[in-house]
Amino acid sequence: MAQEETAKTNGGPLKAIYKFFTSFKLATIVLVLITIVTLFGTLAQVEKGLFAAKEIYFHSIWIVDKVGNFPVFLPGGGLLMVILFINMSLGAIVKVKKRWKGAGLLVSHFGMLMLFAGAFVTWGLGTDGYMALYPGMKSNRVESYRKWQLEVMPLNDDATADEVWILPSDELSSIGYGEQRSYTTDDLPFEISVSDYAPNAMPTPISAPVAASAEAREIDGFKLLPQQKAKEAAANIPGCYVDFKPKSGEGGEIGAILSAYSFRFDPGEKPMPFVFEYDGQKYGALLAKKSWHVPFEVQLDEFIFDRHPGISMARNYESRVTRLETDKEEKPLEIKMNEPMRYAGYTFFQESFGPAGSQPGDRMYSQFAVANNPADQWPLWSLVVTTIGLGIHFVIMLVDFIVRSRKQRIQVAS
Amino acid sequence: MKPSLPLTLATIAGAALNSTGCSDSGASGPYLVNRELSGNEKNLRLVETSAERFRYQTAPSNPQSGSGAASVAAPAKPTGLTYTTPEGWQEAPAASMRDVNLSFGENGEGECYVARLPGMGGGLLANVNRWRGQMGAAPITQEEASALPTKPLFGQPAKFIKVDGKFAGMGTAESKDNYRMLGLILASNAGAVFVKLTGPRELVEANEDNFFIFTSSLDIGL
Amino acid sequence: MKLKLALLLPLIAGITGLASAREVPQVDLEKYEPWDPQIVEAFENLLMQEAGRVKPVYSYSRFTLLQFSGKTSLSFGTKDGVTHKLHYSEWMLDVLFRGDVAKSLPVFVVDDSAAIVQIGVSPKAKRDRYSYSEIVEGRSKLAELSAQYAEKQRKYLDSEKDRQYELGRVEGMILTLGRNISAFEYLVGQFSFARKGELLVNENILPREMVQLAATLDPVEMMDRMPEMSMQQLMQAIQQPDNGSEDARIFTSALRLFFFYANSARGLNLIPPQETDNEVWLSASDAMLTGLESKEARPWAMEQLQNVQSLVEASTQNAETFKAALTEFSDSQRANAEARGEGRHASLEVQLYRGKYFTNSLVMFIVGFIIMAFSWFSPGSRFGRIMLLIAGVFAAVGLILNIYGITLRSIIRDRPPITNLYDTVIFITGTAVLLGLLIEYFTRLGVGTLIAIVSGMLGMFLSIKYEAKEATDTITQLVAVLDTNFWLATHVTIINIGYAAGLVSALIGMLYLGGRFILNLAGNDAKDFFKLLTRMNYGVVCFCLFFSLIGTVLGGIWANYSWGRFWGWDPKENGALMICLWTLVMLHGRMAGWIRDLGIHMNGIILGIIVTFSWWGVNNLEVGLHSYGFTEGVMPALYKSWGIMGIFILMGIWLYVDARGKKAAKKAERENKKVEIQPGPA
Repeated sequence: MAQEETAKTNGGPLKAIYKFFTSFKLATIVLVLITIVTLFGTLAQVEKGLFAAKEIYFHSIWIVDKVGNFPVFLPGGGLLMVILFINMSLGAIVKVKKRWKGAGLLVSHFGMLMLFAGAFVTWGLGTDGYMALYPGMKSNRVESYRKWQLEVMPLNDDATADEVWILPSDELSSIGYGEQRSYTTDDLPFEISVSDYAPNAMPTPISAPVAASAEAREIDGFKLLPQQKAKEAAANIPGCYVDFKPKSGEGGEIGAILSAYSFRFDPGEKPMPFVFEYDGQKYGALLAKKSWHVPFEVQLDEFIFDRHPGISMARNYESRVTRLETDKEEKPLEIKMNEPMRYAGYTFFQESFGPAGSQPGDRMYSQFAVANNPADQWPLWSLVVTTIGLGIHFVIMLVDFIVRSRKQRIQVAS
Repeated sequence: MKPSLPLTLATIAGAALNSTGCSDSGASGPYLVNRELSGNEKNLRLVETSAERFRYQTAPSNPQSGSGAASVAAPAKPTGLTYTTPEGWQEAPAASMRDVNLSFGENGEGECYVARLPGMGGGLLANVNRWRGQMGAAPITQEEASALPTKPLFGQPAKFIKVDGKFAGMGTAESKDNYRMLGLILASNAGAVFVKLTGPRELVEANEDNFFIFTSSLDIGL
Repeated sequence: MKLKLALLLPLIAGITGLASAREVPQVDLEKYEPWDPQIVEAFENLLMQEAGRVKPVYSYSRFTLLQFSGKTSLSFGTKDGVTHKLHYSEWMLDVLFRGDVAKSLPVFVVDDSAAIVQIGVSPKAKRDRYSYSEIVEGRSKLAELSAQYAEKQRKYLDSEKDRQYELGRVEGMILTLGRNISAFEYLVGQFSFARKGELLVNENILPREMVQLAATLDPVEMMDRMPEMSMQQLMQAIQQPDNGSEDARIFTSALRLFFFYANSARGLNLIPPQETDNEVWLSASDAMLTGLESKEARPWAMEQLQNVQSLVEASTQNAETFKAALTEFSDSQRANAEARGEGRHASLEVQLYRGKYFTNSLVMFIVGFIIMAFSWFSPGSRFGRIMLLIAGVFAAVGLILNIYGITLRSIIRDRPPITNLYDTVIFITGTAVLLGLLIEYFTRLGVGTLIAIVSGMLGMFLSIKYEAKEATDTITQLVAVLDTNFWLATHVTIINIGYAAGLVSALIGMLYLGGRFILNLAGNDAKDFFKLLTRMNYGVVCFCLFFSLIGTVLGGIWANYSWGRFWGWDPKENGALMICLWTLVMLHGRMAGWIRDLGIHMNGIILGIIVTFSWWGVNNLEVGLHSYGFTEGVMPALYKSWGIMGIFILMGIWLYVDARGKKAAKKAERENKKVEIQPGPA
């Protein structure tokens, strides 16, 4: 409180800035802007799909876009929310006069701040991916929905590999079409040169007329033709060219097209790497989904799929799983719609199933969304706090309103 | 208390804005990262060609057969259907439930017929799967059946199916290996029309164009 | 006073005009024999399974007639000069048991006679209803065109709405008519197998020899003598080449006939399954094929089919016999269904539709409105206050009917009140009416009653329109993610209360702006009244914020439980967010001194626009996970409502400009006076 006093008495530009950031005017402007951003961000989804619109409108500092033919220039959702957060903390919590009448509002603003803080934490630290399993399979590997990485692995004779060298997705996806970058490591005898990465591309046989005329490098009867990005970001099939060169710079180099088509479309499949030989050792190269491990394994025991009688609408689907962890007992569990499994900071949701077009009775796989979000439960607490705050406030207001309107009515009547 | 709050805010805001906005985790940095593989991850499928790696059919299908020049337009049949008999095809003996019955190939091992039924004829899916069953192929789902390509038949879109396998249709005791079936199914409320062609695969391959010459020539005679 | 009366009279005339029937169409029947009331009553007990749910045939009849004709009843005159009005259950009795009569009844609504001309049938009025007999001469053309348009529409959907495949208005009508005619044929031909060759529809499809065969062949007896055959074998046998023998030929013909019967008996699932663990009810067609495929199930299947046969047979006898047969049939259905816990609320469902609670609720609001209008003749007087009170009572009765209907629907499906878009309409209406009445209770100015009545009229009218437009059962099954009573009861209910409050805010805003606009023109101002409206709207906005915010955050928490993320910027989520944001804009703008009386009301109307956008508009964007609320063709209505609300906002702007102008003028005047006065005393 004492510091607040000094801030107020200091005067000068600092005071002006403080006043600006605590003002109702700023709050109003920011709220109006967020509403407009939300509106355009919603409309933009029709053309761009949810993911792209989200990035442009809500995870941004500035927005420069077009909805239909309508140009949009706005401050980005991210920036606005940070301003609102600052405005709310300073204006509604720090500066506000602490009176009993304002208690409800103070509490509810605090609840909203918690919600925002939760959103920022989720945004910065949360991860999400998925795990798909056929009954009988088990795994601890979670894959990204839309990030891809380049993997190179020495192969064993039985079509397996024990370790892998990864070119991470952020680096890979920053290699533009027409660009080439090289990578080396002491552990691999060759240099990996990656070029022409396209987020959505089709390896096309040169027998196809489009490929014959396209200006692209041909390898093994194929050219990699970039495609327009898919509306659903997860539907993109990236591809790139890769060359394996001797580190000495002498000798022949081995080139290949890598495409996400070679990765698995279905959890029952095995990825199909490009295979090459170097100094008598076989290697495989692959575009694979970015992946990480959870500290336990999940085994799908049974997937239950149930429809409403006589129609194709799904009534329920759920997975019977067993959670396996070293040094711990096996734990049988159910994961179903609205009932996720929360464990060790990870949450497994029943997300979907496949393959597409399966009927009950077919062998189906079950897909879990796997999220790791330190702020997972913050919205719930925030809701409780906000509701209590608003509840107190509106009860105060309603009583006030009734009392006053009774008075007023008497006045009007007289 | 107060100076710390803006600081915290700045940190959170900075963290939020600096992140790419995407919430995937894992290793990062511009260099190659090494990792052990475990469990299912270790297993790979090694294929020979780029075509297999990119999921193209292993064998290119349908080498263009010789010019499928059409022959004479046949006169209207008692069934009320007119059509063009493609070159190298013959009329087969009439059979009940078959409005048109044709054969082709050296020994007439390829056959093609048109059948019509009142009503929906059991629906598209049942018929597609029945035919697939005759070829020993697994049944498909309603979605897949709806997604089948369409070809015109009597000016309406008919579902086209093409199945390879062992042919065991029509009461024949032993199944015939390496056969191919081409079929068009038109199921509408006004009635169902089936056009089915079967024969040894190579023969059918050579006659695929003829099949469409035939089906597109089908018309209701007046 | 006289002026007001003059304004009121056309309104009353208009409303009564709506109620009075148009001239009834004449049908090609000598006379129409109404069904015995006992039969109609017994018919109410019949059950069936449709869209994944066991329900009374009664409600199926209602939605089927609605789908065909856009109405739930049917009026016509016969040649003997008598006018008849049929209830949907009577019409369905005709369709199922007196197909020849049903074929003459004008049930197929065609909005533009151009569609009729195209199928080669002579048109009646621009918009009119046709009987099957009238359409039948264009039947093959209709089949051809509707198949063509169905394909076009499929392409339209497959191509993600490529404009070149979009169906034109008339094309759409032809497609709908084609589907309705075909559905009608299935219903009329449903019991063909039990009618000994009396086919009623589709006769021309069968070859003549088979028509003859049909007169002598009982498919149920035939089934008894058949070998066990799978569906595949049956189809093969039908296509089997002829080996010349007469027996084989007759066998194939009989099979084809059997197949024809089985085909036309599809769709009406009247037969509860034999096994208790099976949930899928069977149509007569399913029973025929089941019996054919398995000798084990055959005696059971034959019994079921014979039950249908005796029902159809009884329908040709006297009323007593038919009633007894109907009762016997439905009793056995019920016993079987109850053993599995199905159809427990079937009689409640009949009650729901027979009671017409929602239509009656609309009537209450309309009557209330008329009575309320009388109170405006002398507001504040004893007469005015009594009229207002009576209007309020009517509004309350309307609300009670609405709540009763909603409660019945909830009980029938064992769910919280809102599970689909139709539910939101009646629920939001009820909430808005309740809010209006609460406001009236606190303020006693007549404003609350007016809001209650206007929202009641608009909402119930919308619900009836929407039901007629969709013309499918509004008690629906839920997709897996919605299968949670907890979240339906909390998030969904709360957020819809928020919607209702937002709409009430817009109504108050329109009342305020419209009122001030008119009074301003008349040079009048009722400051205290308008001040109170502002306070009222402010209260409603707070109410809206409370429910929208909690509802939205609850939605986020639900999403976090079922999809693994709290917030995904999905259109429906954004819609709810915009409502919260705009109420916050209003409340903070007020604190900032930017929003005063006019501002609250104008922003209230914007809030209303946002509510309608997120209630109806986002569903039409067709993106996101919440697309279960999707409905077609609401955009024009939505644009109209936005246009109306926009006009009120323009009024607000005019008022604002006007007020500023007056203020400036006053100020200038005052300054002038100052200038004049100054030298005075000096």
